[in-house]
Amino acid sequence: MTETVRRARVKVLLHGAYRGFADGARDVTLEATTLREALEALVQAHPSLKERMRDEHGRLRRHLSLFVNEEDSRFLGGEDTKLSDGDIVHVIPALSGG
Amino acid sequence: MAKRVVLLVGTKKGLYTLRSDADRKKWTQDGPYSAPAPIHHATYDPRDGSMYAAINMTWGGSRIDYSRDMGKTWEKSKNPAFPEGSDRTFSQTWHIEPGHVKTPNVVWAGTEPAALWKSEDRGETWQLNKALDDQPSRAKWVPGFGGMGLHSIAIDADDPNKMQVGISVGGVYTSTDGGASWVQDNAQTGGKEDRPDVFYCIHKLLAHPKVSGVRFMRVHVDVFWREPGETTWRNRTEGLPTNFGFAAAMHPRDRATAYAIPLHDTERTAVAPGIAVYETNDRGATWKRNDKGLPPGARLESVREGMHTDLLDPLGVYFGTANGDVWASRDEGKTWEAAARYLPYVTSVHAATIE
Repeated sequence: MTETVRRARVKVLLHGAYRGFADGARDVTLEATTLREALEALVQAHPSLKERMRDEHGRLRRHLSLFVNEEDSRFLGGEDTKLSDGDIVHVIPALSGG
Repeated sequence: MAKRVVLLVGTKKGLYTLRSDADRKKWTQDGPYSAPAPIHHATYDPRDGSMYAAINMTWGGSRIDYSRDMGKTWEKSKNPAFPEGSDRTFSQTWHIEPGHVKTPNVVWAGTEPAALWKSEDRGETWQLNKALDDQPSRAKWVPGFGGMGLHSIAIDADDPNKMQVGISVGGVYTSTDGGASWVQDNAQTGGKEDRPDVFYCIHKLLAHPKVSGVRFMRVHVDVFWREPGETTWRNRTEGLPTNFGFAAAMHPRDRATAYAIPLHDTERTAVAPGIAVYETNDRGATWKRNDKGLPPGARLESVREGMHTDLLDPLGVYFGTANGDVWASRDEGKTWEAAARYLPYVTSVHAATIE
Protein backbone atom coordinates (compact mmCIF):
# COMPACT_ATOMS: atom_id res chain seq x y z
CA MET A 1 0.00 0.00 0.00
CA THR A 2 1.48 3.34 -1.01
CA GLU A 3 1.92 5.79 1.81
CA THR A 4 0.73 9.26 0.98
CA VAL A 5 3.26 11.84 2.07
CA ARG A 6 1.50 14.81 3.53
CA ARG A 7 2.87 18.08 2.37
CA ALA A 8 3.84 20.63 4.98
CA ARG A 9 2.47 24.14 4.84
CA VAL A 10 5.48 26.47 4.93
CA LYS A 11 6.27 30.09 4.30
CA VAL A 12 9.11 31.10 2.02
CA LEU A 13 10.64 34.48 2.81
CA LEU A 14 12.56 36.26 0.07
CA HIS A 15 15.37 38.52 1.19
CA GLY A 16 17.36 41.27 -0.51
CA ALA A 17 17.98 40.86 -4.22
CA TYR A 18 15.61 37.90 -4.40
CA ARG A 19 12.65 40.14 -3.65
CA GLY A 20 13.61 42.17 -6.69
CA PHE A 21 13.94 39.06 -8.81
CA ALA A 22 10.37 38.14 -7.77
CA ASP A 23 9.00 41.54 -8.73
CA GLY A 24 8.94 42.72 -5.15
CA ALA A 25 7.25 39.73 -3.55
CA ARG A 26 8.32 39.31 0.09
CA ASP A 27 6.89 35.92 0.95
CA VAL A 28 5.03 32.98 -0.50
CA THR A 29 3.02 30.39 1.43
CA LEU A 30 3.08 26.99 -0.17
CA GLU A 31 2.98 23.27 0.49
CA ALA A 32 5.99 21.00 0.11
CA THR A 33 7.57 17.93 1.66
CA THR A 34 11.19 18.93 1.02
CA LEU A 35 13.18 22.05 0.43
CA ARG A 36 13.53 21.05 -3.21
CA GLU A 37 9.75 20.89 -3.62
CA ALA A 38 9.40 24.23 -1.89
CA LEU A 39 11.82 25.84 -4.34
CA GLU A 40 9.96 24.30 -7.28
CA ALA A 41 6.67 25.66 -5.97
CA LEU A 42 8.30 29.03 -5.40
CA VAL A 43 9.42 29.19 -9.01
CA GLN A 44 5.95 28.17 -10.15
CA ALA A 45 4.60 31.14 -8.22
CA HIS A 46 7.33 33.47 -9.52
CA PRO A 47 8.80 32.14 -12.78
CA SER A 48 11.23 35.06 -12.98
CA LEU A 49 13.13 33.43 -10.12
CA LYS A 50 14.00 30.37 -12.15
CA GLU A 51 17.14 31.65 -13.84
CA ARG A 52 18.13 33.60 -10.77
CA MET A 53 18.21 30.55 -8.53
CA ARG A 54 19.58 27.84 -10.80
CA ASP A 55 22.06 27.71 -13.65
CA GLU A 56 21.31 26.11 -16.99
CA HIS A 57 22.16 22.68 -15.60
CA GLY A 58 19.71 22.98 -12.75
CA ARG A 59 22.30 23.54 -10.04
CA LEU A 60 21.59 26.05 -7.34
CA ARG A 61 23.59 29.17 -7.97
CA ARG A 62 26.51 30.14 -5.82
CA HIS A 63 25.93 32.98 -3.39
CA LEU A 64 22.43 31.76 -2.63
CA SER A 65 21.84 30.75 0.98
CA LEU A 66 18.83 28.68 1.99
CA PHE A 67 17.84 28.46 5.64
CA VAL A 68 15.07 26.41 7.18
CA ASN A 69 14.05 28.31 10.25
CA GLU A 70 17.36 29.20 11.89
CA GLU A 71 19.44 26.48 10.29
CA ASP A 72 21.57 26.63 7.15
CA SER A 73 20.14 23.96 4.85
CA ARG A 74 23.64 22.81 3.91
CA PHE A 75 23.91 21.31 7.39
CA LEU A 76 20.43 19.80 7.38
CA GLY A 77 20.19 17.82 4.18
CA GLY A 78 20.51 20.31 1.41
CA GLU A 79 17.58 20.28 -0.97
CA ASP A 80 16.44 16.95 0.54
CA THR A 81 15.75 18.65 3.87
CA LYS A 82 12.33 17.53 5.13
CA LEU A 83 9.87 20.31 5.95
CA SER A 84 7.21 20.49 8.65
CA ASP A 85 4.07 22.58 9.06
CA GLY A 86 4.96 26.12 10.06
CA ASP A 87 8.56 26.01 8.84
CA ILE A 88 10.01 29.15 7.38
CA VAL A 89 12.34 28.85 4.42
CA HIS A 90 14.63 31.82 3.90
CA VAL A 91 16.00 32.61 0.43
CA ILE A 92 18.98 34.86 1.09
CA PRO A 93 21.72 36.48 -0.97
CA ALA A 94 24.77 34.97 0.65
CA LEU A 95 27.13 37.21 2.61
CA SER A 96 29.52 37.50 -0.32
CA GLY A 97 30.39 39.65 -3.25
CA GLY A 98 31.80 43.13 -2.96
CA MET B 1 17.08 67.19 -35.37
CA ALA B 2 20.00 68.15 -33.11
CA LYS B 3 22.29 65.31 -32.24
CA ARG B 4 23.16 64.34 -28.74
CA VAL B 5 25.54 61.95 -27.09
CA VAL B 6 24.75 59.44 -24.37
CA LEU B 7 27.65 57.71 -22.68
CA LEU B 8 26.82 54.31 -21.24
CA VAL B 9 29.28 53.94 -18.39
CA GLY B 10 29.54 50.49 -16.91
CA THR B 11 31.07 50.31 -13.47
CA LYS B 12 31.72 47.69 -10.84
CA LYS B 13 28.63 49.02 -9.04
CA GLY B 14 26.01 49.53 -11.71
CA LEU B 15 25.40 51.34 -14.98
CA TYR B 16 25.54 55.12 -15.24
CA THR B 17 24.58 57.33 -18.17
CA LEU B 18 26.07 60.70 -19.05
CA ARG B 19 24.01 62.78 -21.46
CA SER B 20 25.00 65.85 -23.42
CA ASP B 21 24.06 67.81 -26.50
CA ALA B 22 26.29 67.99 -29.55
CA ASP B 23 28.54 70.53 -27.80
CA ARG B 24 29.58 67.86 -25.31
CA LYS B 25 30.56 70.48 -22.74
CA LYS B 26 28.10 69.71 -19.98
CA TRP B 27 27.11 66.23 -18.94
CA THR B 28 24.03 65.18 -16.98
CA GLN B 29 24.56 62.05 -14.94
CA ASP B 30 21.95 59.41 -14.16
CA GLY B 31 22.20 56.11 -12.41
CA PRO B 32 23.18 53.72 -11.24
CA TYR B 33 20.99 51.10 -12.79
CA SER B 34 21.35 47.64 -11.29
CA ALA B 35 23.80 48.52 -8.52
CA PRO B 36 25.66 46.79 -6.96
CA ALA B 37 26.05 44.51 -9.97
CA PRO B 38 29.27 44.84 -11.97
CA ILE B 39 28.49 45.92 -15.53
CA HIS B 40 31.21 44.46 -17.71
CA HIS B 41 29.95 46.11 -20.89
CA ALA B 42 27.01 48.17 -22.07
CA THR B 43 26.27 49.11 -25.63
CA TYR B 44 23.82 51.01 -27.81
CA ASP B 45 22.38 49.63 -31.02
CA PRO B 46 21.93 52.47 -33.52
CA ARG B 47 19.77 50.28 -35.74
CA ASP B 48 16.79 50.42 -33.41
CA GLY B 49 17.84 52.41 -30.33
CA SER B 50 18.12 49.38 -28.05
CA MET B 51 20.61 49.30 -25.22
CA TYR B 52 22.23 46.15 -23.84
CA ALA B 53 24.02 45.61 -20.56
CA ALA B 54 26.20 42.72 -19.42
CA ILE B 55 25.19 42.46 -15.77
CA ASN B 56 27.56 40.07 -14.03
CA MET B 57 25.77 39.92 -10.73
CA THR B 58 26.98 37.85 -7.83
CA TRP B 59 23.47 37.19 -6.49
CA GLY B 60 21.11 35.62 -8.94
CA GLY B 61 23.81 34.96 -11.50
CA SER B 62 24.91 36.94 -14.50
CA ARG B 63 22.42 38.09 -17.10
CA ILE B 64 22.00 40.33 -20.12
CA ASP B 65 19.45 43.12 -19.85
CA TYR B 66 18.04 45.12 -22.72
CA SER B 67 16.18 48.40 -22.96
CA ARG B 68 13.99 49.62 -25.80
CA ASP B 69 13.40 53.10 -24.34
CA MET B 70 16.87 54.58 -23.95
CA GLY B 71 17.43 53.10 -20.54
CA LYS B 72 14.21 54.16 -18.81
CA THR B 73 13.19 50.52 -18.30
CA TRP B 74 15.05 47.25 -18.70
CA GLU B 75 14.06 43.66 -19.38
CA LYS B 76 16.03 40.50 -18.69
CA SER B 77 16.93 38.32 -21.64
CA LYS B 78 16.90 34.55 -21.34
CA ASN B 79 20.41 33.63 -20.28
CA PRO B 80 22.92 32.10 -22.66
CA ALA B 81 22.95 28.44 -21.64
CA PHE B 82 25.46 25.72 -22.40
CA PRO B 83 23.73 22.53 -23.55
CA GLU B 84 22.70 19.74 -21.23
CA GLY B 85 25.65 17.54 -20.49
CA SER B 86 28.19 20.28 -21.07
CA ASP B 87 30.91 20.65 -18.48
CA ARG B 88 30.62 24.41 -18.76
CA THR B 89 28.20 26.85 -17.17
CA PHE B 90 27.50 30.40 -18.32
CA SER B 91 29.39 32.60 -15.91
CA GLN B 92 29.70 36.16 -17.22
CA THR B 93 29.11 38.22 -20.34
CA TRP B 94 32.20 40.03 -21.54
CA HIS B 95 30.93 41.85 -24.64
CA ILE B 96 27.71 42.55 -26.51
CA GLU B 97 27.94 43.55 -30.18
CA PRO B 98 24.98 44.71 -32.25
CA GLY B 99 24.95 42.97 -35.60
CA HIS B 100 25.44 44.44 -39.03
CA VAL B 101 22.82 46.81 -40.43
CA LYS B 102 22.00 44.11 -43.03
CA THR B 103 20.98 41.70 -40.22
CA PRO B 104 18.57 43.88 -38.25
CA ASN B 105 17.56 41.52 -35.46
CA VAL B 106 20.97 39.96 -34.87
CA VAL B 107 23.01 40.73 -31.77
CA TRP B 108 26.15 38.87 -30.68
CA ALA B 109 27.56 38.23 -27.24
CA GLY B 110 30.86 36.90 -25.96
CA THR B 111 31.03 35.19 -22.62
CA GLU B 112 33.09 33.48 -20.00
CA PRO B 113 33.70 30.56 -20.35
CA ALA B 114 34.76 31.70 -23.78
CA ALA B 115 31.95 31.20 -26.25
CA LEU B 116 30.11 33.13 -28.96
CA TRP B 117 26.37 33.56 -28.79
CA LYS B 118 23.97 34.82 -31.42
CA SER B 119 20.59 36.35 -30.85
CA GLU B 120 18.15 36.64 -33.72
CA ASP B 121 15.50 38.41 -31.68
CA ARG B 122 17.28 41.55 -30.57
CA GLY B 123 18.85 40.07 -27.50
CA GLU B 124 15.88 38.30 -25.98
CA THR B 125 17.31 34.80 -26.41
CA TRP B 126 20.78 33.48 -27.27
CA GLN B 127 22.09 30.47 -29.16
CA LEU B 128 25.56 29.03 -28.84
CA ASN B 129 27.68 29.24 -31.97
CA LYS B 130 28.57 25.59 -32.17
CA ALA B 131 30.96 25.96 -35.09
CA LEU B 132 33.35 27.93 -32.90
CA ASP B 133 32.62 25.82 -29.87
CA ASP B 134 33.44 22.63 -31.75
CA GLN B 135 36.88 23.84 -32.84
CA PRO B 136 39.45 21.22 -31.80
CA SER B 137 41.76 24.07 -30.87
CA ARG B 138 39.33 25.07 -28.11
CA ALA B 139 41.02 22.46 -25.95
CA LYS B 140 44.03 24.76 -25.85
CA TRP B 141 42.20 27.88 -24.73
CA VAL B 142 43.29 28.87 -21.23
CA PRO B 143 42.32 31.62 -18.79
CA GLY B 144 44.17 34.90 -18.81
CA PHE B 145 44.72 37.03 -15.74
CA GLY B 146 41.07 38.06 -15.77
CA GLY B 147 39.59 34.74 -16.80
CA MET B 148 38.83 33.00 -20.08
CA GLY B 149 36.45 35.07 -22.13
CA LEU B 150 35.45 35.92 -25.65
CA HIS B 151 35.51 39.69 -25.59
CA SER B 152 35.94 41.00 -29.13
CA ILE B 153 33.46 40.56 -31.94
CA ALA B 154 34.59 42.42 -35.05
CA ILE B 155 32.02 42.49 -37.84
CA ASP B 156 33.11 43.68 -41.25
CA ALA B 157 31.79 47.05 -42.38
CA ASP B 158 30.37 45.76 -45.67
CA ASP B 159 29.70 42.06 -45.20
CA PRO B 160 28.00 40.62 -42.10
CA ASN B 161 29.31 37.19 -43.00
CA LYS B 162 32.89 38.31 -42.40
CA MET B 163 33.83 38.58 -38.78
CA GLN B 164 36.57 37.90 -36.27
CA VAL B 165 36.41 37.08 -32.61
CA GLY B 166 39.14 37.60 -30.06
CA ILE B 167 39.57 35.28 -27.09
CA SER B 168 41.69 35.58 -24.03
CA VAL B 169 43.54 33.28 -24.17
CA GLY B 170 42.64 31.58 -27.40
CA GLY B 171 43.65 33.88 -30.22
CA VAL B 172 41.73 35.22 -33.16
CA TYR B 173 39.25 33.25 -35.24
CA THR B 174 37.89 34.39 -38.58
CA SER B 175 34.65 33.45 -40.28
CA THR B 176 33.58 34.36 -43.80
CA ASP B 177 30.18 32.67 -43.63
CA GLY B 178 28.48 34.38 -40.74
CA GLY B 179 29.86 32.04 -38.11
CA ALA B 180 29.05 28.73 -39.81
CA SER B 181 32.76 27.94 -39.90
CA TRP B 182 35.93 29.40 -38.43
CA VAL B 183 39.68 29.33 -38.97
CA GLN B 184 42.43 30.34 -36.62
CA ASP B 185 43.89 33.66 -37.66
CA ASN B 186 47.06 34.38 -35.73
CA ALA B 187 49.78 34.91 -38.34
CA GLN B 188 51.76 38.05 -37.65
CA THR B 189 54.46 40.03 -39.38
CA GLY B 190 57.02 42.32 -37.89
CA GLY B 191 56.72 40.81 -34.44
CA LYS B 192 59.61 41.10 -32.02
CA GLU B 193 58.22 39.12 -29.11
CA ASP B 194 59.55 35.57 -28.99
CA ARG B 195 57.21 34.18 -26.33
CA PRO B 196 55.02 31.56 -28.01
CA ASP B 197 51.92 32.33 -26.02
CA VAL B 198 51.31 36.05 -25.90
CA PHE B 199 49.86 36.47 -29.37
CA TYR B 200 46.96 34.28 -28.32
CA CYS B 201 46.01 36.57 -25.47
CA ILE B 202 43.92 39.00 -27.42
CA HIS B 203 43.13 42.18 -25.53
CA LYS B 204 40.92 44.07 -27.97
CA LEU B 205 40.09 43.54 -31.63
CA LEU B 206 38.21 46.18 -33.61
CA ALA B 207 36.79 46.31 -37.12
CA HIS B 208 36.62 49.70 -38.78
CA PRO B 209 32.92 50.62 -38.89
CA LYS B 210 33.02 52.04 -42.43
CA VAL B 211 35.93 50.51 -44.33
CA SER B 212 35.79 46.82 -45.09
CA GLY B 213 38.79 44.77 -44.06
CA VAL B 214 40.47 47.31 -41.77
CA ARG B 215 41.25 45.99 -38.29
CA PHE B 216 43.10 47.28 -35.25
CA MET B 217 44.09 44.93 -32.48
CA ARG B 218 45.76 44.97 -29.12
CA VAL B 219 47.34 41.75 -27.94
CA HIS B 220 48.93 41.01 -24.57
CA VAL B 221 52.15 42.20 -26.11
CA ASP B 222 52.05 44.71 -28.97
CA VAL B 223 49.44 46.28 -31.26
CA PHE B 224 48.60 45.21 -34.76
CA TRP B 225 46.97 46.56 -37.88
CA ARG B 226 45.40 44.84 -40.87
CA GLU B 227 44.47 46.40 -44.20
CA PRO B 228 41.92 45.03 -46.70
CA GLY B 229 43.14 41.92 -48.44
CA GLU B 230 45.86 41.20 -45.88
CA THR B 231 45.90 37.88 -44.06
CA THR B 232 48.49 38.60 -41.40
CA TRP B 233 48.59 41.03 -38.50
CA ARG B 234 51.22 43.75 -38.93
CA ASN B 235 53.04 44.74 -35.77
CA ARG B 236 52.61 48.47 -35.16
CA THR B 237 53.96 48.92 -31.64
CA GLU B 238 57.00 51.06 -32.27
CA GLY B 239 56.41 54.55 -30.97
CA LEU B 240 54.24 53.52 -28.05
CA PRO B 241 55.88 53.83 -24.61
CA THR B 242 54.86 50.29 -23.67
CA ASN B 243 53.61 47.31 -25.60
CA PHE B 244 50.83 46.56 -23.12
CA GLY B 245 47.31 47.92 -22.69
CA PHE B 246 43.64 47.19 -23.17
CA ALA B 247 41.53 50.18 -24.15
CA ALA B 248 41.47 50.97 -27.86
CA ALA B 249 39.27 52.77 -30.37
CA MET B 250 39.13 53.51 -34.10
CA HIS B 251 38.16 56.76 -35.79
CA PRO B 252 34.85 56.04 -37.52
CA ARG B 253 35.68 58.20 -40.57
CA ASP B 254 39.46 58.27 -40.83
CA ARG B 255 40.50 54.75 -41.75
CA ALA B 256 44.11 55.31 -40.69
CA THR B 257 43.45 56.71 -37.20
CA ALA B 258 43.18 54.80 -33.97
CA TYR B 259 43.67 55.40 -30.27
CA ALA B 260 45.29 53.39 -27.48
CA ILE B 261 46.11 53.83 -23.81
CA PRO B 262 49.47 52.18 -23.00
CA LEU B 263 49.94 50.63 -19.56
CA HIS B 264 52.82 49.09 -17.65
CA ASP B 265 52.78 45.40 -18.43
CA THR B 266 52.83 44.15 -14.84
CA GLU B 267 51.57 47.10 -12.79
CA ARG B 268 48.71 47.59 -15.26
CA THR B 269 48.68 51.37 -14.81
CA ALA B 270 49.88 54.24 -17.01
CA VAL B 271 53.63 54.72 -17.07
CA ALA B 272 55.46 57.97 -16.43
CA PRO B 273 54.68 60.78 -17.12
CA GLY B 274 51.13 59.60 -16.51
CA ILE B 275 47.93 58.68 -18.30
CA ALA B 276 47.71 59.63 -21.96
CA VAL B 277 45.85 58.65 -25.08
CA TYR B 278 48.14 57.78 -27.95
CA GLU B 279 46.95 58.45 -31.48
CA THR B 280 48.06 57.14 -34.83
CA ASN B 281 47.03 58.70 -38.13
CA ASP B 282 49.01 56.36 -40.36
CA ARG B 283 47.76 52.92 -39.46
CA GLY B 284 50.10 52.57 -36.52
CA ALA B 285 53.33 53.50 -38.29
CA THR B 286 53.79 56.40 -35.87
CA TRP B 287 52.14 57.38 -32.60
CA LYS B 288 51.75 60.69 -30.81
CA ARG B 289 50.95 61.38 -27.21
CA ASN B 290 47.82 63.35 -26.21
CA ASP B 291 47.62 64.32 -22.55
CA LYS B 292 46.53 67.97 -22.43
CA GLY B 293 43.88 68.25 -19.74
CA LEU B 294 44.60 64.85 -18.22
CA PRO B 295 46.00 64.81 -14.67
CA PRO B 296 49.81 65.06 -14.90
CA GLY B 297 51.64 62.05 -13.57
CA ALA B 298 48.46 60.11 -12.89
CA ARG B 299 49.08 56.37 -12.84
CA LEU B 300 45.58 55.56 -14.02
CA GLU B 301 44.21 52.46 -15.66
CA SER B 302 41.63 52.00 -18.40
CA VAL B 303 40.37 48.51 -19.11
CA ARG B 304 39.30 46.58 -22.17
CA GLU B 305 35.88 48.13 -22.75
CA GLY B 306 36.98 51.47 -21.38
CA MET B 307 37.30 53.56 -24.55
CA HIS B 308 34.92 54.56 -27.35
CA THR B 309 34.10 57.38 -29.78
CA ASP B 310 30.97 59.15 -30.84
CA LEU B 311 30.13 59.88 -34.50
CA LEU B 312 30.20 63.67 -34.40
CA ASP B 313 32.57 65.98 -36.24
CA PRO B 314 34.95 66.86 -34.69
CA LEU B 315 35.11 63.41 -33.16
CA GLY B 316 34.42 62.87 -29.48
CA VAL B 317 36.69 60.33 -27.80
CA TYR B 318 35.96 59.00 -24.33
CA PHE B 319 37.59 56.72 -21.80
CA GLY B 320 36.93 55.64 -18.24
CA THR B 321 39.38 54.76 -15.50
CA ALA B 322 39.59 52.40 -12.58
CA ASN B 323 39.45 55.31 -10.12
CA GLY B 324 36.01 56.32 -11.39
CA ASP B 325 36.72 59.09 -13.90
CA VAL B 326 35.27 59.47 -17.36
CA TRP B 327 37.40 61.65 -19.62
CA ALA B 328 36.07 63.26 -22.79
CA SER B 329 37.72 64.90 -25.76
CA ARG B 330 35.75 67.10 -28.16
CA ASP B 331 38.61 67.56 -30.60
CA GLU B 332 39.49 64.10 -31.79
CA GLY B 333 41.62 63.22 -28.80
CA LYS B 334 43.85 66.29 -28.66
CA THR B 335 42.61 67.76 -25.37
CA TRP B 336 40.64 66.31 -22.49
CA GLU B 337 38.11 67.28 -19.84
CA ALA B 338 36.47 65.28 -17.10
CA ALA B 339 32.90 64.29 -17.95
CA ALA B 340 32.43 62.53 -14.60
CA ARG B 341 34.46 62.01 -11.46
CA TYR B 342 34.18 59.77 -8.43
CA LEU B 343 32.11 57.03 -10.01
CA PRO B 344 32.83 53.46 -8.97
CA TYR B 345 35.57 51.63 -10.93
CA VAL B 346 34.71 52.19 -14.60
CA THR B 347 34.65 48.99 -16.60
CA SER B 348 33.22 50.21 -19.89
CA VAL B 349 32.41 53.34 -21.83
CA HIS B 350 30.21 53.35 -24.92
CA ALA B 351 29.23 56.55 -26.73
CA ALA B 352 25.82 56.51 -28.36
CA THR B 353 25.25 59.25 -30.94
CA ILE B 354 21.54 59.95 -31.05
CA GLU B 355 19.92 61.76 -33.96
